[in-house]
Amino acid sequence: MTPRRAYLDALVAWLGPEDVLVSGLGANARWLPHLPVRAPVFALCDAMGAAIPLALGIALTRPDRHVVALEGDGALLMSPNVLATVAAARPGNLTCLLWANGHYESSGGQPLPDAPVDWPALARAAGIAEVARVGDPVGLAAALGRARAARAPSLLVLDVRFDPAEEIPPYSERPEEIRARFRL
Amino acid sequence: MDGARRIVEGLEAGGVTLAAAVPDTWIGALTTAVRRSPRIRVVDAAREEEAVALACGAALAGGRGAALMQNAGLLNCGGVLASLVELYRIPCVLVVSWRGDWRDPVYYHAPKGRVTEATLAAWRLPWARADRAGDLAAQVRRGVEFAVASRGPFVLLLSGEDLA
Repeated sequence: MTPRRAYLDALVAWLGPEDVLVSGLGANARWLPHLPVRAPVFALCDAMGAAIPLALGIALTRPDRHVVALEGDGALLMSPNVLATVAAARPGNLTCLLWANGHYESSGGQPLPDAPVDWPALARAAGIAEVARVGDPVGLAAALGRARAARAPSLLVLDVRFDPAEEIPPYSERPEEIRARFRL
Repeated sequence: MDGARRIVEGLEAGGVTLAAAVPDTWIGALTTAVRRSPRIRVVDAAREEEAVALACGAALAGGRGAALMQNAGLLNCGGVLASLVELYRIPCVLVVSWRGDWRDPVYYHAPKGRVTEATLAAWRLPWARADRAGDLAAQVRRGVEFAVASRGPFVLLLSGEDLA
């Protein structure tokens, strides 16, 4: 299974200045300040489950920008209802990346409830038609391109290797700094 | 003019561009009125925390957001209010039906009605009761402007009478 950084590096290389990146809490939000992201970034440090609805509000307000939301499987399991909200709103410019590693990484690596949640099937059942499972960084770049071109809400499920030994940097930016820098 | 229409006028005057809504009987009637606005996009949310985040997204993208919900939904929103609205200092107006106060004839709302004011105080949320006897549209507009100026939340509590 692919490690996080390989996916993150592929995402960062793919994003352009006309994209917008919203990250849920956790490892991705902690890595992003250390990576050369060309898109505006709004990263959460708490607010579990808020990344996708926040990104949806941005996408609906700025239909001229392609918005990418990063969310973890633990966070989406807490509020999967947002999939139906996204499907109903039908934004043509929102791509959700679900980082599925089966663990609550930020809180110490506890496993999610031991159920074989079929994320692509759940998203399709909620009404999101553009769904794909991504298995490697090359596939991620291709899937992102298809998602941006689809003009419909998309969910890409990334199977991420859970690595308890990954040295994730601490949060290095404060919310007021993130808020002040986020300009579209 | 009916109360719901005056509230919509206030949201429009405050520059609200997106209203994310989870209905109850009263908020459903208000949302129907908001849908008639040419200036405000209604987003139907499945849960109230989403509605708050949606409104915040609108604000971050240069619009102005409001979240419409019952007080049961407000009680759900402690986490997102603290960890998104307050932490990142994002303007966010909540229009909340105050079920279970003395004017509400439905008995099973009473427990929510009893804890609503105390919860708003405990969470240190700026709030007001809708004043239908006064200029309700101006009150709503001032609430939106307060949220923008203070870069934070504002909660307006509605009774069923306010919407009539």
